[in-house]
Amino acid sequence: MFNLSLSPPQIEFVLKPGISLTQAYQVTNNSQQSIILNTEVLPFVPQGDNGSVSYSSLLANPNISFSLNNADLKLGQPFTLSPKESRQLVLKIKASPQTELADYYSTFFIYQTVDTSANDRNISQSTGKIGSHVLLSVSTSEFPQTNGQVKKFITTPKIKDVFFTKINFSIQIQNKTNYFFKSLGKITIFKNEKIIKQLNLNSQNVLANHNRSLLCENQTACTLSPPLWPGKYTATLEFNSNLNVPSSSTSFFVLPLSPIALILLISSLIYFLYWTKKKNIPNKV
Amino acid sequence: MKNYKFFLILSLPIIYHLLSTISFAQNFTSPNYQIQFGNFNMTSGKKNSSSYTLTDTVGQNAPGKYSSTGYTAKAGFQYIYDTLEKFSFSISDLDLPFGSLTPNVGSTQSNIITITTPSGHGYEILAIANHPLLANDNTIPDTSCDNNDCNKTTSAPWTLPTAYGFGFNALGINTSGVVTNIGTSNYFTDSTYYRPFSSQSAGDLPQVFMSENIPVKEHLAKITYKINISHDQASGTYSNNINLIAIPKY
Repeated sequence: MFNLSLSPPQIEFVLKPGISLTQAYQVTNNSQQSIILNTEVLPFVPQGDNGSVSYSSLLANPNISFSLNNADLKLGQPFTLSPKESRQLVLKIKASPQTELADYYSTFFIYQTVDTSANDRNISQSTGKIGSHVLLSVSTSEFPQTNGQVKKFITTPKIKDVFFTKINFSIQIQNKTNYFFKSLGKITIFKNEKIIKQLNLNSQNVLANHNRSLLCENQTACTLSPPLWPGKYTATLEFNSNLNVPSSSTSFFVLPLSPIALILLISSLIYFLYWTKKKNIPNKV
Repeated sequence: MKNYKFFLILSLPIIYHLLSTISFAQNFTSPNYQIQFGNFNMTSGKKNSSSYTLTDTVGQNAPGKYSSTGYTAKAGFQYIYDTLEKFSFSISDLDLPFGSLTPNVGSTQSNIITITTPSGHGYEILAIANHPLLANDNTIPDTSCDNNDCNKTTSAPWTLPTAYGFGFNALGINTSGVVTNIGTSNYFTDSTYYRPFSSQSAGDLPQVFMSENIPVKEHLAKITYKINISHDQASGTYSNNINLIAIPKY
């Protein structure tokens, strides 16, 4: 059985070229069996716009070096964790003075070594691997300048009834710089210049020169629930001013479709009953 | 008696005013700046009671740290306490013994994976084989499913006894073992859908087969590994290694 915990799941640092830093990780074997583990760091590039990544050893930057600061363990050296045992691994990250000022993304992996013991049966063996992301911004400034743009800010549906179904906001933001930033901002919904509701954005990492679809607080979809008064609504997407992302607006309309449909239905019914009744009355001579 | 009650009701607001104390929130101002909220708390860390757990932070900005040490945590150090639920990953059975294989009869093995992620993080689980099922120089090929329409990233139905190869299916389940397809529905429609593993020996990258964008606690999936061989398959003891990789969403 493979059962590991790794903490923290992600680290984010800004560092100057020529500087090194250390980060302690706690790895725990939650199983009842000893396990032989190993460590590695692999660079990644973001894939898609929802926090996915893609690995390739070809991406490794020689100016960013990783090592373990543990006295008895090197990166890539196997070690054993007894049942329920925890161990601290101290990752040292060094950016050489020649490091280009930009972001560097990697994952620190703890993986199970493959049991190569011979067997005499048709067998597949599973092995486990668990990773923690390392997001590094190499910069001479503690607060690297960022800017971006809203790639998508749309509402669905554009026209909706006063009752039923929510208004959904789809947001995609583009980071146009070499440094990642966090999506700090809000959606403000106005009707007749009066604020109806504010939705805070979830703080998500928008990696350098990449797009990210955004969610609202508590990692939920950004929605506006009915009932809503009829009229034209405007939603404005604003980000914290230090992100340098221009705000964006979109509109949607709420119409009393279901009340109108109900009135029409009742009117039709009344008219039908009246017409039927009138038809059944015998003509007086 | 009536007068007494009237007097008591009238005096209540006065008593409240006299006994209440004035509270001030942290609010620092000068002609040049105003701080309405910041990291001026006196403590930090994890607070627990029987009904809640809370984290807070102090001194997040660590003035001067960047200029003295040359680095700083980009998000402060609140993220360190992102560990109320640790990032955890487990695989139930590591050995998948297929035993003797019969031509035209699919043989399956399965194991259960469990994932837990801390607040703020979704997850992805990827898979890659070191090589196809191998015995000496003979291999059991990757499945291409019933209609040659599945590959290392796309699943398709695989039920025909005449469709040969090695592949896998993954379905989200609950703790009772009932299929929910949570986390796996984007990759496998139901239990008839399979796809082959990507392979290190072919220079492939690991491919995602389960993911969610929100934090989860003990989400499970059943992975079913399937082999179906033809009468022409060379005899031998076939084996390989499947690496299952759990990473958080950034």
